[in-house]
Amino acid sequence: MEALLTRYLDPVAPLNLVAYQATGGYRGLTAAFDLKPEKIIDIVEAANLRGRGGAGFPCGLKWRLRGADAPSPRYLICNLDESEPGTFKDRYLLYGSPHQIIEAIIVSAFALQVERAFIFVRGEYAKGGNALNQAIQEAETAGLLGTNIGGSGFNLQIEAHLSGGRYICGEETAQINAIEGRRPNPRPKIPRPSTHGLWGQPTTSNNVETLINVPHILLNGADWFRDLGVNGGCGSKLFCVSGKVQHPGLFELPCGTPARELIFEYAGGLDEGRTLLGFLPGGASTAFLLPEHLDVPMDFDPMAEAGSRLGTGSIIVLDDATCPVKVTLNLMRFFARESCGFCTPCRDGLPYLVQILTSISSGEGQADDLELLDELSTTIASQSFCAFAPGAVMPLVSSLKCFHEHYEHHVTAGHCRFDKTVKDKT
Amino acid sequence: MGTFLIDGHVIPFKPGDNILRAALEANIQIPHFCYHAALGSLGACRLCAVEINSKDSGKAPRVAMACLEPSEDGLEVSVSAIAAQQIRQHVIEFLMINHPHDCPICDEGGECHLQDMTVACGPPYRRYRGRKRTFLNQDLGPLIHHEMNRCITCYRCTRFYQDYALGNDLGAMRLRNEVYFGRFQDGPLENPFAGNLVEVCPTGVFTDAIFRQRFARVWDLKTAPSICPHCSVGCNTLPGARDGTLRRVRNRAHPELNRWFICDRGRYGHQYSEHSTRPLAPRVSGADTSYHDALTAAALQIKLAQNRIGGFGSAREDMEGNAMLQALLNKLGGVFTAFCDPELETATIAAVSALQNIGNAPSLADIEQIDAALIIGDLTAHAPMIDLALRQAYRKGAKLALLHSSPTLLAQFATTAISVSPREVYTRLSRLCELVNIESIANDMTEAPMADIVASLMGARNSLLIGAIETLTAYEVFALEKLATTLGSDTRLAYAFPGANAYGAALLSSAGNASTMLEAVENGKIRILIVAGNDPLGDSRFGSRWRAACHNLSALIVLDCISTVTAKAADILFPVAAWTERSGTFINYEGRSQGFSSVFHRSEYLPSVAEVITNLGQYLGRSLPDAESVLCDIFSDFQTPKPGTTGSLITVPALTMPITASIHSIQKSCNSTWQAALASWYGDEALASFASGLMALTPETVALIEPTSAVNAGLENGSQVKLHGPAGSMVLPVRLNQGVATGTIAIARNVLVQLGVGHGDSLELEQVL
Amino acid sequence: MNNSLKELQENLLHLPPTDPKRRAAAIPAMQALQAELGCLDDAAIERIAQITGLSTTEAEELATFYSLIYRRPVGRHIVRICDSVCCSMRGADQLLIAAEKYIRTPLGTVTPNGALTVLPGICLGLCDKAPAALVDGEALGPLNNVSLEALLQRILQEN
Repeated sequence: MEALLTRYLDPVAPLNLVAYQATGGYRGLTAAFDLKPEKIIDIVEAANLRGRGGAGFPCGLKWRLRGADAPSPRYLICNLDESEPGTFKDRYLLYGSPHQIIEAIIVSAFALQVERAFIFVRGEYAKGGNALNQAIQEAETAGLLGTNIGGSGFNLQIEAHLSGGRYICGEETAQINAIEGRRPNPRPKIPRPSTHGLWGQPTTSNNVETLINVPHILLNGADWFRDLGVNGGCGSKLFCVSGKVQHPGLFELPCGTPARELIFEYAGGLDEGRTLLGFLPGGASTAFLLPEHLDVPMDFDPMAEAGSRLGTGSIIVLDDATCPVKVTLNLMRFFARESCGFCTPCRDGLPYLVQILTSISSGEGQADDLELLDELSTTIASQSFCAFAPGAVMPLVSSLKCFHEHYEHHVTAGHCRFDKTVKDKT
Repeated sequence: MGTFLIDGHVIPFKPGDNILRAALEANIQIPHFCYHAALGSLGACRLCAVEINSKDSGKAPRVAMACLEPSEDGLEVSVSAIAAQQIRQHVIEFLMINHPHDCPICDEGGECHLQDMTVACGPPYRRYRGRKRTFLNQDLGPLIHHEMNRCITCYRCTRFYQDYALGNDLGAMRLRNEVYFGRFQDGPLENPFAGNLVEVCPTGVFTDAIFRQRFARVWDLKTAPSICPHCSVGCNTLPGARDGTLRRVRNRAHPELNRWFICDRGRYGHQYSEHSTRPLAPRVSGADTSYHDALTAAALQIKLAQNRIGGFGSAREDMEGNAMLQALLNKLGGVFTAFCDPELETATIAAVSALQNIGNAPSLADIEQIDAALIIGDLTAHAPMIDLALRQAYRKGAKLALLHSSPTLLAQFATTAISVSPREVYTRLSRLCELVNIESIANDMTEAPMADIVASLMGARNSLLIGAIETLTAYEVFALEKLATTLGSDTRLAYAFPGANAYGAALLSSAGNASTMLEAVENGKIRILIVAGNDPLGDSRFGSRWRAACHNLSALIVLDCISTVTAKAADILFPVAAWTERSGTFINYEGRSQGFSSVFHRSEYLPSVAEVITNLGQYLGRSLPDAESVLCDIFSDFQTPKPGTTGSLITVPALTMPITASIHSIQKSCNSTWQAALASWYGDEALASFASGLMALTPETVALIEPTSAVNAGLENGSQVKLHGPAGSMVLPVRLNQGVATGTIAIARNVLVQLGVGHGDSLELEQVL
Repeated sequence: MNNSLKELQENLLHLPPTDPKRRAAAIPAMQALQAELGCLDDAAIERIAQITGLSTTEAEELATFYSLIYRRPVGRHIVRICDSVCCSMRGADQLLIAAEKYIRTPLGTVTPNGALTVLPGICLGLCDKAPAALVDGEALGPLNNVSLEALLQRILQEN
């Protein structure tokens, strides 16, 4: 497949406005202004563009549900706060071509008839944020932002907000709080941001990768976009592959490409002599899959059917020299550390899981610990306030199933199989 | 209105009620932590899990949080379902991971919501094998003790403190299982309602630091329904005593007044009754004696003086004490009033009369619903809980306007706050009245900000005019009434009265008696003065005249439970019971008559004022009927209100308020550039001034001056000035403050007393170089 | 982002105390001030409160939430070594131990010469460069003990 989203990326020296325009940038803008906003939403809906931030909610439907008659002011938030371990696609987009992001926001804001948009940039990407700010200024000077853009009568102001740094800020409603200068705890599910978002006004949040598809969809049509995918997937997708592979990296491939192709063709396969133990298909908050799932299309529904999630499309590979208990403990430590502390199951439940996993990992686990992990995870996943904790326990619950013998070994032998310094109890 | 079922119980609900609220209203318990009736649902603790059976029979039952689930007609809810029980058990297990096992020495013992919930829902054993997370505590001042290790992170404290009481110095810091509720730095909590944290917190993070000093296990406390004696709002309270001493005061819900909360003066002011200077034995000519001897001495003096007698009741004494004193004086042909400052006397009587004309003052629950208010003076000091009610109105979007002479906390929430000197208040009120009658005033820029006030009051569906009597004259009281009348029936009127029973005391007093009494003592026509719960010698404006006049008396007979200036000067002193040591009746700012119970008895014999007066009558050979009969004679259908009930409005014959004749007009000399204004704070009240914990928070003694006035006088922040009044002078540092009116010096009550000036009186200022 | 503190201050100066822009400026103001000071001490939080109109406690509620707002002293240079799953699998745990040993200063504290603070950090979005670090905001990776020590040495010896 021809590179679409990564076509303009140059991480060493991101394209300035002139260079970006010379390669065809901002053509999506012209296409958008020729259309009625509702028509754009129709096209995006027809293209079956699903959210790339992890949840996979259809973008066109999200836009339609906000309603054309939503009261003003209304806002658009471009979510560029990826903090999901294993995920680095948005970094490439930000550092590689900020104008591509700006163009996508203008087009999307026009479709939504929004006059103020925010880009929420991950704190660790501050340098990229600086470049983005420069690009915004360039676009303002060129009349691509501001009032009456290109004579369209459409006004738009874009502000970049650099995060203070926390995983939870990627959550839609926590992010709204963060932009408002409140503690970024998630907000209740109801009322929804589409009616009561930023400062109580209608707000639409989209992941940056979702948005950058929109200009291309307008230029080439919904059918073209759908046909980009394979195995039932729609469009192009940015995949990250990392962990125990020879060539970790970012790969733009048709949505629906199976993991086998990603791991073994594009990421260069595993180290010499190693075999695949399992993998997380969509970042840290997805469920482990096993070698038997290598041919499942990397797409939303097939991944769900396999018991996991496409998430951010970020594959983390474990080989047979990696202790899955240790990896899972690392993941759970991450989530316990990043919990915002708002609701009990997440705030106090995750550290509890960490404590149990720590004792198992260090060979001090007890016979009923595995059952206890399972029991607690069920409550944590089902009764937390937001989607953070359900995501957090997904790798644990799946790890307990996929790698049960490893856990058993830790408990019964009293040490890790990969720890060569100790001998088995038996 | 519909109904749903909880484990077979029919639960009615109002539109918008969630399942938990409806259940609790119907007295069906669903375990919960973060939900609080005043603070609403949050969804953070996840304890109120219930199983809900969908009406759609095909769907499987689901577990949800009762506090976030809207009530629906016909819903079937189960608290007892195994799935819901399992969730609650896990939530308790999670919360107990870090909660210390210090229950045996915990101040919350016996009233710990966490313990109740753990016993009700939790696992009976501990599975967590890790270490507990620990915190360092902060010093939050003399009133509240901080013990963060006990925290279960329900966010009730910050929701009360920040969202409800609009404080900004307590917050949630950090994240994950390290969320820390505290201040930026150590220091006393600044909000006047901070003490409610003690009750809002479901466990022992915030506990009563005063109670802690003399702790008793709560089941050992003697309690009985009471009424707060520290202002005219009449909040319902539950004092607790042990071993003949008063240990603490807590809120007791009244559906129309204080529902869940009381102010810090109400919670901590009680320490006055334990103060080391409190008179506990009768004294005659400076020597302790028995009640019998004191009564004999008093009766003898009264007889010798041939009934040339006068008596002060008190706005802080109950109806019974005041009425009995008045009855005795009637028999003896003496003069009675409850007010020693003539101006305060007329202003208070004028306010009762104004309310009689215009209709009763709104309850706190009503005040929370208003959408515009004009506030004259500082309510935080004179009626703290009305301030809190207005904060609720503000949260709902009410526009608050203020006319004030000295700094007031409500100004930060006001749409319009105009600082005016005390003497200018009347002119402003009259002008507001005129503006109401001018059409299209709202657009008249030349009249802003006064026009803004009028516009917001006229545009409101439900507005309130309220003034603090202690800083108003009768003229201003009537001007406020006139403004209310002019605005029409959508406008309610209220006054913050100067004492828990000021309204009732005014009903027994006659305008003019205070000055009559002073003059009569000065010219020797009165030789015996009985003072019950009052302090004429300590009065700011008239104290010096009283102190001089008292030399004419053959006997100053004082009945009090605090050591006032007057009590110290008494020839014959009868220590009386503090409010928790006797029963009685207060009439609050609405005219609501409420009864309070005797909670406990001290080891010392301490009769009530009514009892002392009854005994004195007997020693004089003039037996008096009991207090209830006396009160029935005055108020035709008076019934002593039963403690623990919501009380009832007192019905009284209309007060005649001959305004022109009896308003004591104070000749304020206008040759001075400076006016004095009372700078008060929420602890500023006669009884509470003996509460040592609360008094530790007294603001520094300074002269507050508005910056421009200060510059014109060549003063800056920190300048030393000497203030001169008729009774004396005092050197104070200057503090510039935007909240003070031009040409006004705002000073604390004790400074006013020392100088011998009242609010609005002239004052001389001399810079000390 | 990239706002100068002065600019922020001027924008907020004439806004009423309840204007939501005041609160929204809190994090940008902290970032700007931190760029000047390195970390935010109590005096800095007081200044943020003054600029935004928040109370010091309200400012502290925000400052203490975020991982990139430093409320404790940091060195002139900050090396954040990722300790999350991909980097951990590729040797980050050993790197952190090696770093602490090499600079002879506990992680999260400042070296005696004030030059350096090494912090463990959550996933930095550099999983393709694992094990990776951010050195004063610049991405670096994959690292090994040798390249890390060289880096630390360079920083420590700098004036």
